[in-house]
Amino acid sequence: MSRSASVRIEGAVKRHGKTTVLHGIDLAVKPGEFFAFLGPSGSGKTTTLRLLAGLETLDGGRVFLDDVDVSHAEPGERDVAMVFQSYALYPHMTVRENIAFPLRMIRESAAAIESAVTEAATRVGIAHLLDRRPGQLSGGQQQRCALARAIVRKPRLFLLDEPLSNLDAKLRLETRAELRRLQRSLNVTAIYVTHDQEEAMTIADRIAIFMDGRLVQVGTPHEIFHRPASAQVAAFIGSPPMNLFPAHLERGSLRIGADAFENAFPSLKDSDQSVQAGIRPGDLEVCAQGGLAAEVEFVEDFGDSAIVNLSIAGQRAKMRTERRELPAEGTRLRVAPRAGSIHLFSQSNGARLHT
Amino acid sequence: MSGMVNRKPGAAARRLLMLIAAACLVLIWAFPVFWGFLTSLKTERDVLAWPPVLFFTPTLDNYRAVLEGSRSILPNLWSSLVVTTSATAITMLFAVPAAYAMARLKMRFKRTTGFYVLATQMLPPVGLIIPYYIVLQKIGGLDTYAGITTIYLTFSLPFAIWLMITYFEDIPFEMEEAALLDRAGRLRTLWYVILPQVRGGMAVTTIFVFLNAWNEFLFAVVLGGNTVRPVTVAMYNFISVEQTQWALLSAAAMVAMAPVIVIGLAAQRHIVKGLTVGAVKGGGRR
Repeated sequence: MSRSASVRIEGAVKRHGKTTVLHGIDLAVKPGEFFAFLGPSGSGKTTTLRLLAGLETLDGGRVFLDDVDVSHAEPGERDVAMVFQSYALYPHMTVRENIAFPLRMIRESAAAIESAVTEAATRVGIAHLLDRRPGQLSGGQQQRCALARAIVRKPRLFLLDEPLSNLDAKLRLETRAELRRLQRSLNVTAIYVTHDQEEAMTIADRIAIFMDGRLVQVGTPHEIFHRPASAQVAAFIGSPPMNLFPAHLERGSLRIGADAFENAFPSLKDSDQSVQAGIRPGDLEVCAQGGLAAEVEFVEDFGDSAIVNLSIAGQRAKMRTERRELPAEGTRLRVAPRAGSIHLFSQSNGARLHT
Repeated sequence: MSGMVNRKPGAAARRLLMLIAAACLVLIWAFPVFWGFLTSLKTERDVLAWPPVLFFTPTLDNYRAVLEGSRSILPNLWSSLVVTTSATAITMLFAVPAAYAMARLKMRFKRTTGFYVLATQMLPPVGLIIPYYIVLQKIGGLDTYAGITTIYLTFSLPFAIWLMITYFEDIPFEMEEAALLDRAGRLRTLWYVILPQVRGGMAVTTIFVFLNAWNEFLFAVVLGGNTVRPVTVAMYNFISVEQTQWALLSAAAMVAMAPVIVIGLAAQRHIVKGLTVGAVKGGGRR
């Protein structure tokens, strides 16, 4: 039985008093998709999630679940489940009672509840903790309890609000993979809010990037990484994020500082303008000649790879390398971007200039 | 207690000082009660003996006198009980939903409403007695249970609402949102998710309201009469211009205090819990 919903948001506007927190969001999520809302705090991603849950009211626009307008439906009428950042477990109930709660509210029979609770708890690996209270669980166990409570009634849409942010780093990695597996096995549409770009990149089928209450890009992790729609997205994605240099584009050639890349953008040979040139740290490599003049400021060595902090054309930049022999501080060298790895963005509004 | 071994030496001294300080406070509070208890077991002659007699033959005559016969305070205890329980019950019945609404719902004039609820608490009770008297007289409510209970509600309700609001505000919004998404709806969310978490607060509020009403004297003595004569007023009758019957007064006081002490002991667990609620954000352990 497939119960995964499609989601469509049309021109969603949300105001808090005089501040507009969402400036018209348009978005479509396909059934069964694992979708991430990614953005810095205050960008509107959680508000959008809460609009889907019905916990916020719209000030404009509409929300559809399975092509049915639910813009004004109560949270309980939408058949969606949510895992809150704080988990929102009911402290006076045992784990069993917590998980059973959604089923009790729809008056399932006691036998059906018992088997559903056991199944959900087993799925997330807390079947042995059913008689504990939330206060007697570790953070990770509480998180699983919240997950079990969300999946127990098999909702058509699964909303997760920064579910991993209260876990320690190791547990976060484990849970991330489990969450992905769980979503696949349930084949339920899931929307996941996070400000951690690595989390979004690794877990999601597609990502929507929110900035200042606007949706700035929607795409697969691959698309977002390799073809960021704007300089802002480019600077947000990747760890470390993309290096951005002030540059000049003239007759298809790009000049950064004193160095030039002749005929690097033949498709833009008619333009003559100041631009921002972006190069991912992983796309830079040391070269014998050509490229950009750089000076090594310091090196962060992670063992299997290293981040070389450079000064290029008077600006800080980072280069990721897996080479064994690392340059010493103060070394002057030349670095070149891999062929076709330079991204161009408008100087004025940051929009991507080429395909 | 095994933990004591590992404590630093300073900690033990600090503990001792704290104990002494606590003992002093308890003594200050307990001495009058203890003295009252002793007095209630004395004869009037022993009471007035100077210097005070420390060793005397205890007698239960005073208790007999205040519980049986013409000077019995039993009708007054009944009067107190009726007024107090009905005032407490009605207060809680209205205060809990009102406080929940004021803590949670977005409504217009919430601040203004809240202010007027509190404003009644700012007036000195003495200033209200005459208006209350006149109103009750006009509607025939003087010396009736309904009348006095209603007057008690005017100060117990605002107090209870404001106390309960703080307990409701301690519960994270997300708790309710989770319940709403679980299809509980407003009423079932309140019943299954919210109220169980403010049980401690409700217990504390109930006790405070009960004690306030039980101990009330001023309104009762002015607005009551022969029908409604709570025990606080009855005790006053042992004090007259000619003489004060200290032994009888003390015995009556002990009897009047008994239910309060019993309730306090029974609810002690709740009170402590209620006072510490919200200490842990998100309210984990209970």
